[in-house]
Amino acid sequence: MTQKQTPGIPTWLLKRFGCGPNNNVVLGDLEEQYQLTGSALWYWRQALKAIPVNLFKELRDHAWIAAASVMTGWVLWHFFAVMIFSGLSDYFFGRSVGAEIRLSHPMGSAWTILWAPVLIPAAINQPFSYVYSILLPFIAWAICAWMVRIVSNIYFEHVEDGSLQGTRLSMRIHHNRQNGAVLLFAGATLLLNLILVGPFILNIQQHSQGPSAELLYPLLGHLALNVTASILGILIGGGLLRDRSAITS
Amino acid sequence: MGTVPTTPFETALAFSPFLQYREQMRKGEYLGNFDLMLLLALMRLGDDAYGVTIAQELEEQTGREVVVASVYATLDRLQERGLVVSSLGESTPERGGRAKRYFRVTGAGLREVRDARKSLMNLWDGLPELKGEKA
Repeated sequence: MTQKQTPGIPTWLLKRFGCGPNNNVVLGDLEEQYQLTGSALWYWRQALKAIPVNLFKELRDHAWIAAASVMTGWVLWHFFAVMIFSGLSDYFFGRSVGAEIRLSHPMGSAWTILWAPVLIPAAINQPFSYVYSILLPFIAWAICAWMVRIVSNIYFEHVEDGSLQGTRLSMRIHHNRQNGAVLLFAGATLLLNLILVGPFILNIQQHSQGPSAELLYPLLGHLALNVTASILGILIGGGLLRDRSAITS
Repeated sequence: MGTVPTTPFETALAFSPFLQYREQMRKGEYLGNFDLMLLLALMRLGDDAYGVTIAQELEEQTGREVVVASVYATLDRLQERGLVVSSLGESTPERGGRAKRYFRVTGAGLREVRDARKSLMNLWDGLPELKGEKA
């Protein structure tokens, strides 16, 4: 019997973003059913729903591991922002929009830490602005996400999971569990960016302190690039774009 | 109890009445609706109970689409409570070489189902207005 090819996009998504020990089994079930019925719509629905179902199950079952992993990533980012990016900024540019914002608004510190590569060197007026907006956050967030994956793996190695006793040795599914921590890290970082951008725009529009209003649109453009590069860095650094579903032993 | 805490959460659980209460609530003393349906589906399917067949059985009996991943998520929880056990089966080409995960109801699971049936029957009996399919 000729094997039908399963729909590519949902399979790709489920292989990369699927969490937990059951991901491979679910992939097998969906493929088996697809061979029988050939219903692409059913396959799409099942695959797309499986990602959040497994993610929330993993986060609920191992909440403290996910939280500790994400905190590790953010602490590392804080180190990058405060120690490295501000040092680079002082060395190359000598002044800092971030410092002005920090003084002008209670949320300024959060802005400058989260968007350090863009704000601290006032990158939009400087050469290498795209290095600061895209390359630095991409690399730094990728390293943070890599660390999130490592830390969650260390924790998972020490957790005895009673629900899988007898099967876990043959399944070797830790790689899928780490996806949950990395996805949480990416989602929380994206959410934090979205939450902070509103007050940031209001602050620029309402106050003469901080960067002037003419800088708003270029600054927002750089911020958008910064956020995109950050999330992409997390996904790549966290190993989510690698197909690990074939790893079975 | 009697086990040594191995994770920060277990350590906190050992000392916090609030966390103990929350954990008991999370595990749940009673079977939920979906839990009960899954156990019944396992009993109906016997040795052929794995993700797709369970989901199909539930769909046929309830008329609603069931997400295969949520079947596994719920069965994992029931396995933690000792109500079901699972084992890995054969891998076939139709499944892309991936193994099946079969489930079976344990003795404790059977007792839970009987208890739930008894409780539900008692509750139904207390509703005379529902007799004769009026509501």
